[in-house]
Amino acid sequence: MNCPIENQESAEILLAYCSRKLNPASAAILEEHIQICPACRDFARGQRAVWEALDAWEAAPVSADFDRRLYARIATEVSLWDRLLRPIRPLLTLQGLPVAAAALVVITAGLLLDRPAGPVRPNDAETSAALEAVTPDQAEPILQEMEMMQELNRLAQPQSPDSKI
Amino acid sequence: MGGAAAALDYDAELMLRVKDGDSASFGVLLEKHRLSVVHFLQRMVQNYAVAEELAQEVFLRVYRSRSTYEPTAKFTTWLFRIATHLALNALRDGKNERSQERLDDDTSDMPVRQVSDRRPSVEEKMVYQTRLDEVRRAVSGLPDKQRAAVLMHKYEEMEYSQIAKVLSCSESAVKSLLFRAYETLRARLAHMA
Repeated sequence: MNCPIENQESAEILLAYCSRKLNPASAAILEEHIQICPACRDFARGQRAVWEALDAWEAAPVSADFDRRLYARIATEVSLWDRLLRPIRPLLTLQGLPVAAAALVVITAGLLLDRPAGPVRPNDAETSAALEAVTPDQAEPILQEMEMMQELNRLAQPQSPDSKI
Repeated sequence: MGGAAAALDYDAELMLRVKDGDSASFGVLLEKHRLSVVHFLQRMVQNYAVAEELAQEVFLRVYRSRSTYEPTAKFTTWLFRIATHLALNALRDGKNERSQERLDDDTSDMPVRQVSDRRPSVEEKMVYQTRLDEVRRAVSGLPDKQRAAVLMHKYEEMEYSQIAKVLSCSESAVKSLLFRAYETLRARLAHMA
């Protein structure tokens, strides 16, 4: 067999062998190679020493109250959510509330979207005062002019069937 | 890991039950993995108090994530990804240094290996303790990712592919991490043979 220590990729065979994870057939072939290869022999001896040293490192037992502390933390989180939702919980249980809430959202969105995004409108008070200053006699020609402007505007539309401009 | 393979993972099934509101399944998962998570963190940060604090945070995060959990990988991969992430952050922030209870400060309550059925002598205890300190120092001297890879490989017996998923790197990167880590450990611990 090729010497596994020559490249990092195949050195995993040596690692597996030293951690007793290599299948018996491959282990037998490797053992034959180790007999004649000093580098692999040194690697295997060193790696076994590491493995045994790590085996000796036993971790400490877990605290007896580990679960109790964990469940207490979970309960604290759950009760925090409970406290936050408590004021609105009765509302959430009312029938029809979700529909009403959805309708409110739609209406609010509609009102917000309906606002023209153009130049700032004149002050409402000023507009009102200007309208009050116009008499019925003055209003009639103004309305006629507006109708005419609208008609011209309609004719000016290129996609309009009546378009003449 | 594909969906079919994940479906065979019993832990993932338990987690899906937790997602459906079965808190008893969370208890089963905690019972099953508590020890391995705490021990992994103890060896990572080498501080009992910090390790337990981090382990609590791991299981708390598992519980918090129940509603969004999807079994896209083996449950233990996900669990150790959380644990490793927290451990690496703690090491980066030096949390393990600030606490009073480092592993090498007080080892009187550590389990001592019984070489026979009689109680170990004071001398044997001291030899064991010295060897243990050497192992700890050698492991804690490894770069954080190498340390995590060695601990998962040695104590959790994870495959290279699973370690790669936990550490979010390629399998060949894991092999390289382990090769370098064991090379360092051989240089430091070979005399213990």
